[in-house]
Amino acid sequence: MKIEIQNVSKSFDKNKVLQGVNLTIEKNKSTIILGKSGCGKSVLLKLIYQLLQIDDGHILYNNKKNVDIDRFGMLFQYGALFDSLTVEENIAFVDYINNKLNFRNKVANSLKEVGLSPDIYKKYPAEISGGMKKRVALARAMYKKPDVIFLDEPTTGLDPVNSDMINELILRIIQKKKMTAITITHDIQSALKTGHNYHFLNEGIVEDSGTCKKLLQSKNKFLNEFLLGVKNLQRIK
Amino acid sequence: MMIIENIGKQAIYLISSIGKIILFIFLFFKFLFQPKFYFRSNLKYFINIFFSSIPVIALTGIFSGMVLALQSYTGFSRFSAESAIPNIVVLTLTRELGPVLTGLMISARVGSSIAAEIATMRVTEQIDALKTLNTNFFNYLVTPRVLSLTIAMPLFVTLVDFIGVMGGYLVSVHRLGFNENMYLINTIDFLSFADYLSGVIKATVFGFIISVISCYCGLYSGKGAFGVGSATTNSVVLSSILILVSNYILTEIFF
Repeated sequence: MKIEIQNVSKSFDKNKVLQGVNLTIEKNKSTIILGKSGCGKSVLLKLIYQLLQIDDGHILYNNKKNVDIDRFGMLFQYGALFDSLTVEENIAFVDYINNKLNFRNKVANSLKEVGLSPDIYKKYPAEISGGMKKRVALARAMYKKPDVIFLDEPTTGLDPVNSDMINELILRIIQKKKMTAITITHDIQSALKTGHNYHFLNEGIVEDSGTCKKLLQSKNKFLNEFLLGVKNLQRIK
Repeated sequence: MMIIENIGKQAIYLISSIGKIILFIFLFFKFLFQPKFYFRSNLKYFINIFFSSIPVIALTGIFSGMVLALQSYTGFSRFSAESAIPNIVVLTLTRELGPVLTGLMISARVGSSIAAEIATMRVTEQIDALKTLNTNFFNYLVTPRVLSLTIAMPLFVTLVDFIGVMGGYLVSVHRLGFNENMYLINTIDFLSFADYLSGVIKATVFGFIISVISCYCGLYSGKGAFGVGSATTNSVVLSSILILVSNYILTEIFF
């Protein structure tokens, strides 16, 4: 699914979070939105998912203004698994809530896809590790076979080994299922591993866009600061 | 000037909160009749709150009945009206103490847990996750809780009335030397259906108040652990105050 964000603005009270954002999410590509904490990345993601209302501008999904959000799946920063439900019920939530039965095989396949053993399907989120939670959350996001997957800081709170595992998993799933992926992150290493196109957001404005190579050669001060860190930038200069 | 400004801010906050609660109640009724009704989560929630609350309710009932019998005896024996104790125990329990004490206990036992659970779900983005899974969070979270508690409260009060009367019977017969048959006959003869009904209606209203306030406090909680803590405290304080206020209004109506 191709998504075009046209001149989108969003404010909370007097705080302007996004100011005339323009960018395009290409079909079947992995798009990364980079930016410092508090620059409006999560808000942008929620606007695209239609979890928040746009103040100004438009978002077009395959050139249409309306979209069925069942075509979207989302991996939240901290998983956002439902504490009172088991792993199985979490993954198959859309079936569980609609009183559909016999989703165990489907859950087992989903767990296999994210590299988890089906033994954990009766466990509660509190009984599994952080890395496992992320993978269960990814399995839940993939369960309804979405066209577009939204990844909100997929490697936050994970150790380097688990981060790599999640990145590889995301890449493999996106390529295998031919999905459009939108990732927001401030983890440069992860972003470079999993992206095709990049957009750099700073204080609610898209400062730079392009491929990895283009962004690395950019002369944008804020982007260079973000990529290298202020101290490294001063040392290089 | 600062004092006036603060009073003004508090007044605006109070009025906007009242408006939000009214809108919240309106939303509850709107979604109650919408086609997507999550039967499984309704039933699961009802069973959960009903059985987990029974021990607290039973203890409230038995000790209230026992204390009521003892205290009534202290007063009534001064003008030789001990025979009225069964009547007083049953009437006070069914019309007043049963619904009010049950309401206060349930607001602490169930209301606080509803507020804490929903507030935690909000803080940890679980409510956003529900939206991403195309689930009506109001029907999934609020409706089962409000319906369950509104239906469960009359059952709780019936239980408290019964156990309370039995508590009064135990103390009166075994401690104060009443005739057991006479005590039960006096209790049954004196109690009218209207007395029981007034308590049950009060309980239904209290159940609705507790569940709506708790869900509201949870959904509109602040961020982080402080937000969850405040939501829990606010839900218990606000529910308890509203129970006491509405109890007076309902008593005036049934008077």
